[in-house]
Amino acid sequence: MTKQTDAELKMANLLVEALNLEDIEAHEIDPDEQLFGDGLGLDSIDALEISLAIAQDYGIQMKAEDEATRQAFATLKSLTAFVESNK
Amino acid sequence: MVKTFPLVRRGQNEVIAYLLKPIANFGLAAGKVDVNTFLSHVRAVAAALGEGKHAINMCDNRYLFLVSFCAVVLRRHINLLPATKNTFTQHQLNEAYADTYIIHDGVDIATPIPSIDLRKLTLNNAHDSSLGIPQIPNKHLACITFTSGSTGQSKPILKYWRTLHCSTAINYRYMIPKTDNTIFQLATMPAQHMWGLETSILMPLFENVCMSDVKPLFPQDIFDSLRSLPAPRLLVSTPIHLRAISVGSADDLSLHAVLCATSPLAPDLAQEIELKFAAPLLEVYGCSEVGSMAVRETARERNWLRFDDIHFEKDGEDTVVSAKHLPESTLLQDNIDIIDEQHFTLRGRTTDLVKIAGKRGSLFEINQVLLQFKGLVDGIVIYPNTNNAITRLCAIVALKPGYDKLTLRRFLREHLDSAFVPRPIHVVDTLPRESNGKLLKTRVEDLLKSLKK
Repeated sequence: MTKQTDAELKMANLLVEALNLEDIEAHEIDPDEQLFGDGLGLDSIDALEISLAIAQDYGIQMKAEDEATRQAFATLKSLTAFVESNK
Repeated sequence: MVKTFPLVRRGQNEVIAYLLKPIANFGLAAGKVDVNTFLSHVRAVAAALGEGKHAINMCDNRYLFLVSFCAVVLRRHINLLPATKNTFTQHQLNEAYADTYIIHDGVDIATPIPSIDLRKLTLNNAHDSSLGIPQIPNKHLACITFTSGSTGQSKPILKYWRTLHCSTAINYRYMIPKTDNTIFQLATMPAQHMWGLETSILMPLFENVCMSDVKPLFPQDIFDSLRSLPAPRLLVSTPIHLRAISVGSADDLSLHAVLCATSPLAPDLAQEIELKFAAPLLEVYGCSEVGSMAVRETARERNWLRFDDIHFEKDGEDTVVSAKHLPESTLLQDNIDIIDEQHFTLRGRTTDLVKIAGKRGSLFEINQVLLQFKGLVDGIVIYPNTNNAITRLCAIVALKPGYDKLTLRRFLREHLDSAFVPRPIHVVDTLPRESNGKLLKTRVEDLLKSLKK
């Protein structure tokens, strides 16, 4: 597993909290692991939950219409990078 | 004489759809689509369908779903409307039904099922209005929906043409606050779900309602889509989406009404939404077998108003629902208390039933799926008591050497609707069974508490 950056750890904490991922600790989420599908196994309801938490914590509104958003939801790393660049 | 009802009960120049995105291969720009143009698309797609009988309709774009749904009906084929699109579901339906084919606009297809990708059809808008509006026999089986989202082996529900147009007339009367104008509707649920089918597909076919092609998820997408539609606007949604948009700002948006169904809506959320959109919010109660059957203004009312064409018969705790337009009566999965002639309250569900994201699942069936996992030593799926906005199922399992959480999750994802894939999955050495083999609820709950990180 790639080591998480501080920003990624913060985002991982947001995911664990927003989605009640009780079987996993924030520091265990691999930045390169797929969030949806096989990896963490998230679905569209989770995407909605994540978008709400991001709006609340970072003040960023996500839009599914943007290709950037779609790419952002790939991994912890891409989600963190998306938020950092939109701050 | 065979009794019939039109495929579309709208004027040929009326607007049936408002596209927020163009569909180039159908010759469509964003904006209004009239009934004539729509019918030309239905005829063209119907002609492109092969020989077959059952069409698994997996279209995601709502306009393409509307067109293909009608094309299938026009050919006197039957739409199959599963809740999930995975290849396992496709295989199951292919085995259960004769002469199956798939209509879609971009999903992975389980070979060797024949399929039509609507993105690859090229149509033109040349329409011949002299062809008129086709008539469909009332007895035609227009579609089959499926009750439980938990496993593929759920109960099929047969929807005849008569049921669809009769129930839509009732729904329109009870759900849409009176207006002479065409209502422009945005829906956030898939068309394959009964709530989505009734409101976003059937209403535009039979009543003065215009559908839109999209299915927005994030709050900003929902607001933007609503802003793009002409007034008067109607939002049809679920408590999950409404909770998400309740925090966003939409000062400039006023709606004709908001409809909500699939799981209980909190009264304070209903009040917030009414304020936000300066519109009445009607919560609708229904089930896949019957469709919608009651309505209330949740911001102000606790009692449900039963549609007067729907009949309830109490048999002890049970309630049996029947209606003239339904082929058979249905035992309700909820316990209800009759208040008066036309009002009732809900008192909760039978214990096996879980409902997540508008999908009904049976805990028993979900556990049966878990037990089929080769790497399982012992395990259980439960519906935990939580204060979370959305409760997810949770699994506690003991696994054979060589198997891990990832392989189990992959197996469950293949066999269950994603809403029912347990999360978290806790892996333990043994489950706390009694000497007689029973697993007591209290001991499972204690174990679960100790497992939370």
